[in-house]
This record gives sequence, C-alpha cells and structure tokens, in this order.
Amino acid sequence: METATRGRLLILGLGNLLMGDEGLGVHFAQRLEQRNDLPAGVDILEGGTSGFLLTEYFVGYPTMILVDATMDERPAGTIRLIHPRFSSDFPKSLSTHDIGLKDLLDGLTLLGRMPEIHLFVVSIQDLANMEIGLSPEVEAVLPELERQVLELAQSLVSKVDA
Amino acid sequence: MAQRIVIDPITRIEGHLRIEAEIKDGKITDVYSSGTMVRGIEKIVQGRDPRDVWAFVGRVCGVCTTVHSLASVRAVENALGINVPANAELVRNIMDAALYMHDHVVHFYHLHALDWVDVVSALKADPKKTSEIAQSISHWPKSSPGYFSDLQKRLGAFVESGQLGIFANGYWGHPAYKLPAEINLIGVAHYLEALEWQKEIVKVHTIFGGKNPHPNYLVGGMACSIGIDDASAINAERLALVEKLLKDAKTFVEQVYIPDLLAVAPYYLDWGGIGGGLGNFMAYGDMPTNGYNDRNNLKFPSGVILNSDLSKIHEVDPTDDAEIREFIERSWYEYSVGDKEGLHPWKGETDIKYTGPKPPYDYLDVEKKYSFLKTPRWKGHAMEVGPLARVLVGYARGREDFKEVVDSTLAKLNVPAAALFSTLGRTAARGLESLLVAQWGIEFFDQLIANIKNGDRRMADTTMFDPKTWPKQAHGVGMMEAPRGALAHWIVIEDGKTKNYQMVVPTTWNASPRDPEGKMSAYESSLMGTPIADPEQPVEILRTVHSFDPCLACAVHLYDEDGKHISKVKVL
Repeated sequence: METATRGRLLILGLGNLLMGDEGLGVHFAQRLEQRNDLPAGVDILEGGTSGFLLTEYFVGYPTMILVDATMDERPAGTIRLIHPRFSSDFPKSLSTHDIGLKDLLDGLTLLGRMPEIHLFVVSIQDLANMEIGLSPEVEAVLPELERQVLELAQSLVSKVDA
Repeated sequence: MAQRIVIDPITRIEGHLRIEAEIKDGKITDVYSSGTMVRGIEKIVQGRDPRDVWAFVGRVCGVCTTVHSLASVRAVENALGINVPANAELVRNIMDAALYMHDHVVHFYHLHALDWVDVVSALKADPKKTSEIAQSISHWPKSSPGYFSDLQKRLGAFVESGQLGIFANGYWGHPAYKLPAEINLIGVAHYLEALEWQKEIVKVHTIFGGKNPHPNYLVGGMACSIGIDDASAINAERLALVEKLLKDAKTFVEQVYIPDLLAVAPYYLDWGGIGGGLGNFMAYGDMPTNGYNDRNNLKFPSGVILNSDLSKIHEVDPTDDAEIREFIERSWYEYSVGDKEGLHPWKGETDIKYTGPKPPYDYLDVEKKYSFLKTPRWKGHAMEVGPLARVLVGYARGREDFKEVVDSTLAKLNVPAAALFSTLGRTAARGLESLLVAQWGIEFFDQLIANIKNGDRRMADTTMFDPKTWPKQAHGVGMMEAPRGALAHWIVIEDGKTKNYQMVVPTTWNASPRDPEGKMSAYESSLMGTPIADPEQPVEILRTVHSFDPCLACAVHLYDEDGKHISKVKVL
C-alpha cells in the first residue's frame, strides 16, 4: 500500500496457498517477484484469499491483470484470458475469495470505480486440502502463463506511454 | 406436515456452513448446523518452528487474518514466559481495534444488512424524504436529496441491466422486509460508502504490520521500530496517519453505523424476542491495559454467564484440563480415547474420519456424525461467543462504559433488557462494542505517543527468541477476542518444535454439532422455534445465523461451487 512507488499496472495473483492448485495465482505472483526485468510501472501483488481488503488496489490502479485458478472442467493447465465487466462474468470461482471479491467488484461498478481488468484463468482439476504446491500439469504451464501475462503487461504499459 | 429445508452455503463470506432445518406449522422444530469442509491447519504446523506458526495460521482466513497470528504469538509467549513490551501491546491493541471497526462495519453493511434492507424497494424511495430522514438521524454530510437521487439512478441502471450481482441473493419483496423505501435507500447508500471507507482503516495494519492482508507479527513483540525522524521506521508522519484513520473510523461508526442501526431496529423489534438460544455466554477478554498476563485489566473483561443470569460471573481458565474440552461424537474425526470423551486442546487430536454421505447428497445423516467442526464445551456447557457475549460480560461485571451504551440503547428503542438475548440483541451488541472500541483505539494511540515522548521505544523482547534458551518442553495458550468471539490457540513445544497445535475458534463454539449428551450449540439452539413465513425463502434463518457473523473459513475449510445460496425444500 505504498503510494509513493505505485506503478500504473498491477498484476494480482489470487488464491489459497494452502489448497494445492487453488494457490496458483499466489505461486505465480511469487514467481514474477523473482524477476528483475519487469516493465517499468508494473507492480505485483500476492492477493491471497482477500476480498474487500483489496479495495485499495482496485481503486488505486487504472489497469489490472488478475491471475486466478478455476475449476471449469477444461483440461488442467488450460490458460484463458477474459475481460469481465460484472461479477457474473467471472468464471465459476473456487474457494475463499469468492463472495468478498464479487461483492467488491459489483460495489465498485455501482460506485463507477472499476478499473480496466484483464483476467487470466488457469483450469485446475481439484482442490488439494492442506497442501502447498502445484500439480505437475499446472506447474508445467507457468512459463507459458508468464510469457502471456508479461506480453500483455508490456503492451498495456506501452499503450499508456504512447 | 414437517418440511426439511437445507441452506447451503449460508455464509456470505468465507466458509461453507450448511443448515438443515425441520419446519412444522410455520416454525423450526429441529435443526442441524454443519461445517462441510475440513480445516486441518493444525496438521500443517506440526513439527514447525513455533516462531513461524503465526504466519501459517494467519492465512486460515483472509478476512480476520490478524486474529490468528496474534493468538499464535501469544500462545508461544505464554509457553516460554515472555512478556512483551508495553508499546508492542499497544500496537497490537490498535491493530485489533482497527480490525474490529473494519470487521463490524463490513459485517453490518455487506454481510447482514441485506437480510433487513430491501434493495429493490430502495428504487421507490423519495430522495427528498430520504434526505430528511438521513439528516434527522445523523450529522453525516452525505445526505442531500441530490446525493440520494444520483445513487438511486445508478442503482436503477444496475438492476435494469440484469446485473443484480451482489444483491442477487436477497429475497426481495419478501413480507419479512419491513423498512420504508427511504430507509432502504439510506441502507444501500451506506453499503457503498462503507465499501470505500473500509479500505482506509486497514492501512493501520500496513503501517504497523508492514502489509495487509496478513500483517507481520513477532514472538516477543512487534516487528516495527519506532523512529520519529526515521524515514523507514514508524515515524511522525505514519503516526499522524494512524491517528487520522482511527478518528475517521470513530466518526464513521458514530455517524453512519450506529444511527443506521438505531433507524432499522424499531421496524424489527419482534426480533428482540427471536433467536436467543443458549443463554450461556463466554469471553476470554482482550485489549490489555497492563500487560496481557494481568487478566483483571482488560478493556474487554473475561467471564462466563450461565442461563442468562447476569447476576453471577464465572471465571474461565483455558489452561485447566477440566474446563475446555472438544468432543467429536458428532464430528468427522476419531480420537484415540474413543468418541464419547472430550479432549483438552493441549491433548487435542486432529484425525479426520469422514463417514458422511458421498457428495453430492440431499441430506446429511444427522443421527450420526454430521460436521467437520468439533464441539467445544466449557465444564460441559455449550457457550455462545462473540459481541453479545462480550457486551453481556462487561455489563454483568458492572463496567460503566458497557452499562452506558447498553442502557441508553435499550431506552432509545424502548425495550427491556431481556431483548438483549435475541437476534436483534446480537446485532445491536456488535454495534455497541464498536462504539466502545472506537474510543479505546484512540486511548491506545494516545498512550503509545505518551510512551514514545517519554523515550520508551521498546517494541520487542528478544531475550528468549533463540530456541537454545527454551525448556525441553513447554505448554502455552494464546487467547484473544476476535471480532467473531473468543478465540484461543494451544501449543505444545518440544525440542524447539511445535509438537501439538490446536485452535478452538469462535465459529466452532457457535456453529458446532450436538455434544455426546445431545445438547445443541449456539446456532442450533438459537434457531429452534424461529417462525418461517415461506420455507422457499427462509430469510428468517439467515437473519439469526448471520447475526453471529459466521466465518467458516476458520471453523472449517470451505468449498464453494458457485457462490449462491441454495435452498432445497422437500416435504418429509
């Protein structure tokens, strides 16, 4: 919540670290944090299972890239980019961050404060309870997810610069 | 003819709580409360460094993360005999106060209000009349006719677009909704204002805890150094922001939350006679003013009330093997001592044995085990924990601050003290303790500033931080009053590692299944006899269960397919 160094684009990883593949967004955010070649103006946040606690970021960044897991019966590791407008446009969500986050999104819509949102969802098969770590199928797509997220981030930041 | 209805999930936030109720002649005649997903964090922390456990258990819940971290460091400090410096205690209290205001305001507006406020009816309100009512109940500045008219237009457009979204789960138009359209519109306006406000108060956690969610704690104190002129420490600028945030929060509680509570309550006074339940209440007490170990100087006093008898307070000792025990006869676990006996948490076991139906299922076999929540008891008694318990314990102990807010509210609503033991009383108690906490937060802040000015900048006692200084074995308990109620963590340390860890959380006390004697816990007990106008739309059940502020993420883990209230109705 440091405003002094805030960039223009936030990459927000969502999920529960303690539930196996459900923690994908958090693992992804941690992976990105290891890099030192991110485009200027791009911030990363591990959003965990928070809903309302993320309000500050949703009203503070004009553009966001969200990364989340979904259980949508597609093959595990399927990456999709969607552009939700209302909370009902979000994919069938999983666990703890469900209602708080959706309430927040609708509230911000009513307040006219919604940022531009790009949502990457990765399909998973199962919730593994009491487990930290990703399944091989999901782990394997992280490099491709990283490539797609960074490519989009680069183009979004350049668009603002141009 | 009896009908059984199932509401699953029932929580509006974290968690997976399922209620199965039998209804006969328009009233609940039997009811079962079940947590349908296991937690298991106790297993994750076994064998880990006790100094790290707070970071794991804090993440049990994304809403009240800080409470488990605090209970955890207190458990370790208790085990090792560490006394934290006064400043660390004050910072913990300030963070706790900020959490209370955040949690209670969010609960009232975002989790509970829609059980009472009809959003669709707000579209029919007269903005001018709404403005007059708003100005008659509060000095809050956002109250002009134009303000309410603009909001009404945005709400109308939202509803017309077919995106009822957040409001989709309500039972709009149900006869149990009694508010005039104008008060409904005020409710919607403050729902949205509270959404924007709540992002501010949590900054207190980022300042002292480095980040939010999941601020940092430290065994022995707090991991934040005070340095008035130091750019990277808690400096004068940060402290000024904390003061502003605490004052703004107090204003919001006093000028928005409480006036709304008092404006809504008169239309629902019948709920002062519904949903009372056990009549047994327990608080561990919290917000110490003379160190956590001095149990007599707590802003929230500790104690137990039995059978609604406010003339007698019993003391509670979580270290006594005979007082707090958890039973599993009706829970999906097994104990080495069998199903009938309860275990004190220091000897607690977390061995899951699911014997329920294979999902998806229509009904649980409630005659057998039916929940992932264990059933805690105090000296064999079921206990309600939470705001009502805290307020009643403070009131019964004769504390002037508690008496003042309680008696003045009873007088304003013109209801007897017996109305406290109800769904309405529970919801009101949450508001009343918010008033107290808002004031205490500023007292804690002023004391912190006074200490700093006197040259005391100590924030941690690290003399026992090195495990080499620890005994071979140690037992500790860390108690606190989470916004949802009495919370404690028990730890057994052996050879520098966590040998056993047990958390007995507020919702476990309230939402647990029956005990081996067949006695109900708080949710079940409070729902018995509740009138249900329309079993297809059982808003009455939601009112009472939501009045406890259920948070099943910490009571159990959760699993939520599509985030909707599912009400299944079947004639038995």
